[in-house]
Amino acid sequence: MARVELRGLRKRFGGGVVALDHLQLDVASGEFVSLLGPSGCGKTTALRIVAGFETPDEGEVLVDGVDVLGLPASRRNMGMVFQSYSLFPNMTAKANVAYPLRIRRRPRAERESRATDLLGLVGLARQVDRYPHQLSGGQQQRVALARALAHEPAVLLLDEPLSALDAKVRVQLREEVRRIQLELGITTIYVTHDQEEALSISDRVAVLSEGRAEQVGTPSEIYNRPRTPFVASFVGTVNQLDAVVVSAAEGTVSCGDRVMTVDGDLSEHPAGSEVAVYLRPEDVELVSEGAADRDASPGKVRSLTFLGPVTRVGVDCGLGQLVADVASDVALRLGVGDPVAVVVEPGRLRTLANPQGT
Amino acid sequence: MAALTTSRTPGVTDRRRPATRRRLPVWHAFWILAAAAYFIVPIVSLVQFSFGGRVDGHSAGFHWYATVFDDPNFGSSFWLSVQIAIETVVLSIVLLVPTAFWIHLRLPRLRPVMDFVSVLPFVVPPIVLIVGLIPFLQPFTFIYSRPEVLDFIYVVFAMPFLYRSLDAGLRAINLQTLAEASANCGGSTWSTLIRVVVPNLRSAIIGGSFLTVAIAMGEFTISSLLSFNTFPVYIFNIGQSTSNEAAALAVISLLLTWGLMIALYLVGRGGRTTAQIAATR
Repeated sequence: MARVELRGLRKRFGGGVVALDHLQLDVASGEFVSLLGPSGCGKTTALRIVAGFETPDEGEVLVDGVDVLGLPASRRNMGMVFQSYSLFPNMTAKANVAYPLRIRRRPRAERESRATDLLGLVGLARQVDRYPHQLSGGQQQRVALARALAHEPAVLLLDEPLSALDAKVRVQLREEVRRIQLELGITTIYVTHDQEEALSISDRVAVLSEGRAEQVGTPSEIYNRPRTPFVASFVGTVNQLDAVVVSAAEGTVSCGDRVMTVDGDLSEHPAGSEVAVYLRPEDVELVSEGAADRDASPGKVRSLTFLGPVTRVGVDCGLGQLVADVASDVALRLGVGDPVAVVVEPGRLRTLANPQGT
Repeated sequence: MAALTTSRTPGVTDRRRPATRRRLPVWHAFWILAAAAYFIVPIVSLVQFSFGGRVDGHSAGFHWYATVFDDPNFGSSFWLSVQIAIETVVLSIVLLVPTAFWIHLRLPRLRPVMDFVSVLPFVVPPIVLIVGLIPFLQPFTFIYSRPEVLDFIYVVFAMPFLYRSLDAGLRAINLQTLAEASANCGGSTWSTLIRVVVPNLRSAIIGGSFLTVAIAMGEFTISSLLSFNTFPVYIFNIGQSTSNEAAALAVISLLLTWGLMIALYLVGRGGRTTAQIAATR
């Protein structure tokens, strides 16, 4: 097990494209950290620097406190799973997994048994003698995972390993990646642009934008306590509303035709200043217009999008334009143009978390 | 050949199915026969001629073949050509496989340059090449006087074929990722080349080697100018005196060259099976 620290990584590609801009990240021993961000945010570059396939212009990569940037990729003792299929086409699944051990001149019996064990671990005990072209995409990535683990690397690196697979296999395989990671307790860095993937399997998520870590935190912190507008809008769907601070001490803002309590620290915003507030669609409640006993903002249904268990309802109301997630069986009774009333429970409206606190 | 290709184009056959269904087979047969005749007629004539003529009032039969095998120069010139062909293949592979690998992996900007260089032997006629090479090679007496000098010249001639074949083979595999995966597993560049790249380039290497053998076995101009008694030179000299014997010799040479290529193919295929078994272990 190893602790990995990325210290002030900077990388600029030819043509002046900045891939990484002072990236900082600490990964504790045995921790599973995802680098999440849109394409071009530098997440893959960061992983490739850790693996030794790219050299940063500045900064350090420390593994257990030792800078590894001087070492070639072949001597860093890391296991990597690539986005595109990277199995050696001339070797069977077992030979692929045994390859790192063959390079290390381990005895044949050891190679055999370790390769067989690992293929069993990834659920391919019966496919050991298949060639890559005889395996499905998901199976190939399982073999790639087994191969990445064969030489007992200090760190496991995964570069969008599931992005080429279909949705069902993706969900199944990501759970297995997590199960195996927990079983082995191996320090893991996982690159993905899929927020659901990142939130579901990570101990912590680092949201990257333009080469910087915008926020690093547990999946729940990232989702519920975003610190920057980018994180708020990139992770999940969010209604962003313009509000004016009424009382910082009481934590109230006026938003459209309402005055509401905000969850979050307004201490840096004097009364009367503008502040962006956020509201998740699942925190918006729609009630029938007659339910006047609650502090409801009247509005009209603008759009309906069926998403399976929930239906996303676009509403024009006194707070502005919002989307609300409503259980689909409830939404069946709604039509575009119907009058509805919008209720926001106190505390559901959030400001960005203070960058200093958590 | 062009007509063959056109008649096979699916669009053409699909569009006029009812009409072409009756007519096409005739045209197919015609063009296939025409193309086959182009290759087969000369070979049949050659074989016929090798049995032709009269010896002491009798029909020749295998006389010319017997004459060929009785001539000690036949064996020596043939083995010289085989030896040169094998050396050329080995030298070409040793030089070009690592070069093509390195250019694809680390110096992709040099690819257009190599593309250009690799076709130069096509552009420069052999006679021009040799006129330029003779004064260059003459000072190196230790090699100039030995037939091995031909190895180096044939490597140049064969380069377009082997390099192009390797280039296509390298484009077909996901070289960058495979090399990175191998490095990540702890493999050096060398072990990546030997254990990962070469096994995946096997068919490209074998294909290129076939053509290299064909070139080295059949090259006449240069070996004749440098006065080495290679097999093509020997055939030519025999043809000057007894044309029937030369025909018999040409038939034998065809069979031997085919045999050599089949042997090369089997060696290549056998090697692959061994590699796969070894890899499985």
